[in-house]
Amino acid sequence: MTGDEENRLIAAARRGGSRAFAILVGAHQQAVRGFLRRFTGHWADADDIAQEAFVTAWSRLDRFAGRSSFRSWVSGIGFRIARDARRAHDRASVRDGEWAAYQSDSDEGAAPLEDRIALAGAMAALPQTQRAAVALCLGEGFSHSEAAAILKQPLGTVKSHVNRGRERLLKALGGEDG
Amino acid sequence: MDNETRLMRVLAAATLPARDPAFVLAVMRRTEQQRYRVERVRALLRGAGLAAAAAALAVPSIGWAAAYAEALQAGALAFLALVALVWATRSLAQRASAAWAG
Repeated sequence: MTGDEENRLIAAARRGGSRAFAILVGAHQQAVRGFLRRFTGHWADADDIAQEAFVTAWSRLDRFAGRSSFRSWVSGIGFRIARDARRAHDRASVRDGEWAAYQSDSDEGAAPLEDRIALAGAMAALPQTQRAAVALCLGEGFSHSEAAAILKQPLGTVKSHVNRGRERLLKALGGEDG
Repeated sequence: MDNETRLMRVLAAATLPARDPAFVLAVMRRTEQQRYRVERVRALLRGAGLAAAAAALAVPSIGWAAAYAEALQAGALAFLALVALVWATRSLAQRASAAWAG
């Protein structure tokens, strides 16, 4: 979706256009849900939070200034809901991360199961903001600047979170090379 | 395979959700519910405002009605007579047109 098209849809949604908003949800759901799944480590909670984030975005559309992309803005709302609600507690994320690793075992070309389990555990063990930075930048391909806007953190802090998080994940996979 | 490649492979494979129309539907259902809730609260507030205004007007009109009781009674009777006359005229007109058609 181009920026112009997105702006047009946002303007239509602001005027109450449900159809325009549904198109925006459809276009950005994968990125927002993917980020929240990695961040919470709990699939069902993540999807529920993602729904809540989109509904909150709908009710606050008039406050969206357009300084960041719509995807970043909704991801930020989702991040704050997940963090504040503390639904993603660490024990559940380790257990469900392992379950998720088993669940996607049949995917063609997928990474080995032991790597996925190790990564799920290591992700759950990362501090909250570091985990969010890693999930955004390494998992979902957001830029460091986008992640900084979403997490409301300085750019340097986000870069440092991503590097440290990456090192810890590599260590969990059995080494520190890269 | 080095650990960097393994990490990227696991991150790429792990939790990417499929594009899900049911998710979009669930979001839209929740937005509609929220919109309905907001409208209901607005309607309640509007109703409460109107009721308060009506009560504020009714209190002084009690004194006025007591002072002009006779005129009020005559006016009410005249209004009822007018309503009865209109009703009777309409009823007769309907019967006449039905008889004409039959």
